[in-house]
Amino acid sequence: MSDTEQTVYDTVCELLQRYNREGRELRPETDLNAELNIDSVAAMDLIMEIEDKFDIDIPINLVGDLRTVKDLVATVRSQQEGA
Amino acid sequence: MQLTTTSNDNLPLRVGAFETLVEGLDYAARGATGFNFFSERGKPSLSLTYREIRERALDLALRFSASRLGRGARVAMIAETRPEFMVAFFACQYAGLVPVPLPLSVNLGGREAYVTRLAAMMKRAHVSAAITSDDLFPMLDEAAGQVGVDCVGTYEDFAALSYAGGEIRPLGKEDPAYIQFSSGSTSLPRGVMVSQRSIMANARGIGQHGLQLRAGDRATSWLPLYHDMGLVGFCLTPAMAQISVDYLATTTFARRPLLWLQTLSERGGTIAFAPTFGYELCLRRAAKVEPGQFDLSRWRVAGIGGEMVRASVLEAFSERFADCGFDGKAFLPSYGLAESTLAISFSRLGEGVKTDTVDLEAAAKRDLALPLHGQGTSQRARTFVRCGTPLPEHRVEIRDTQGRVLPERRIGRVYITGPSLMEGYFRDTAATKKAMPEAGWLDTGDLGYMAEGELVITGRSKDLIIIGGRNIWPQDLEWAVETLDRVRAGDVAAFGVSDGDEGERVVLVVECRLKDASERMLLRREIAAIVQRSSGVACDVVLTRPNTLTFTSSGKLSRAAAKADYLSERISDLDSDAEQEAAYALAVGAE
Repeated sequence: MSDTEQTVYDTVCELLQRYNREGRELRPETDLNAELNIDSVAAMDLIMEIEDKFDIDIPINLVGDLRTVKDLVATVRSQQEGA
Repeated sequence: MQLTTTSNDNLPLRVGAFETLVEGLDYAARGATGFNFFSERGKPSLSLTYREIRERALDLALRFSASRLGRGARVAMIAETRPEFMVAFFACQYAGLVPVPLPLSVNLGGREAYVTRLAAMMKRAHVSAAITSDDLFPMLDEAAGQVGVDCVGTYEDFAALSYAGGEIRPLGKEDPAYIQFSSGSTSLPRGVMVSQRSIMANARGIGQHGLQLRAGDRATSWLPLYHDMGLVGFCLTPAMAQISVDYLATTTFARRPLLWLQTLSERGGTIAFAPTFGYELCLRRAAKVEPGQFDLSRWRVAGIGGEMVRASVLEAFSERFADCGFDGKAFLPSYGLAESTLAISFSRLGEGVKTDTVDLEAAAKRDLALPLHGQGTSQRARTFVRCGTPLPEHRVEIRDTQGRVLPERRIGRVYITGPSLMEGYFRDTAATKKAMPEAGWLDTGDLGYMAEGELVITGRSKDLIIIGGRNIWPQDLEWAVETLDRVRAGDVAAFGVSDGDEGERVVLVVECRLKDASERMLLRREIAAIVQRSSGVACDVVLTRPNTLTFTSSGKLSRAAAKADYLSERISDLDSDAEQEAAYALAVGAE
């Protein structure tokens, strides 16, 4: 991982801790649904926090493709570049 | 940015007194009111007067009709809260086409399930064309490909079509108006065929009778436009009454619920609706709201609909926001469903939430709603909310299982009739026959009773699960779980259990043959994940022994039995203490 990617990854993991009720170890492959059990209301909260933290917008059409921590990081990076 | 005005100075308010949507929009276009859209941060982003909507709709209508879409053809469109959707919807009205609003999905990782859902709806409605925004185009295109719809494009694509040879051929008063998908499961969606007659009857009933719309009214809404409450209540009815609306996208509300109150406060909103959970979301985020931060004193109709009305939440809301000028008397409980366009009954304006407390045992065992006047202990009492009297020209009957009409305070199936009723589901005679066993009457599937002429709903149709205001069909969850490798068809039952005022919780009971506890742990996670992906809800997974689930004589899974067994703990989890002990006892005995 490059420096920025690592920073984004760390920040995303930090934001995810609130949803990580079972205290699982977070990896890039961690599945947001299967392992963290984030429901649709919590998903909205999470996305809002990420948007606020990174000052980006995550359009609704991208949400359906977000399965893992890695996907979140990649989306943050691509939205940052697009901004 | 200039928002549309609240009232028209030179155009008399005419509430719903039209025969078609086109006639109503033509009239509204003579004034200066219209729709306003707000960004994710609550800033005004775009305003369109009804005049501008009409002009754009007429332009697009020419292009639609020039592109060989025959009169009566269905045009699917994803109902995002954006002006392009409204324009396309009304363009269909002017072009003699039938719009089919499709839902917008937001589940993490849920792309595939969403595409499948769109495809099933387009197939059911036999659509000839599909249209959406840039953002959602790839998903709509994929879905259209699956069902052989080749005329797919973005709003820009359609706006760029030639209008040469196109004509304006508005839908008339005997014609259909649109197809509403908010009933039926994902796999077998049912499209309610809403006619011009029924939408106009309902808009008139809502506007003249239910809300008694008047000059100075302004609506504020975050409700999705693919649901009847959003589309009929906060787009079509206001347009048919020349009322301005301020819109937040549903996703904006989900993220920042207080923007709803802020927008209403800043723009002078007088009318807004939500299911109970909408008020609940605001409450949850209200910790930092200061006295007087919002001015909610002009909010004269705070409607509630769409799911069972929960009185305690509303009470907490009015207490919490009293110092922002909110008056609990503004609450307006209502009842309705897509099959009756939207609304059937409203309580009386200005009276707030009226409850009816009845004896729980008499209700459960004798289907009798015996009123308790404060003397009963809370253990034996159940409180329901009164949903008011039927709209003029509409009737409600409570019937028993043999179809006999029951007197007041007897609990039975809620049947309705009136001019807002659908003629049927689009090209689905079997489902229509089931919902309307007798011509002109709809079996709502809901349970309730009448008290002093007011309708009280006691339960929704038995299998439907409602989470956060969304209808979830158990078979959709079951089918999703059955796609997992280690689950067989027929091994799964999904149902909702009430958590009292917390709302509902989803339970998935799955028969499991795995001997290894860690394998079971893995399966649990897979089940929870696929349920999340397909429907966006969290669930409790119960893995149980094979042959636990009950089937009816016709081989249909009995969810009611599964639920009863679960609640009485006749179904237990393989990894629960009791099961562990039993297994241990067996193992010890065998040695």
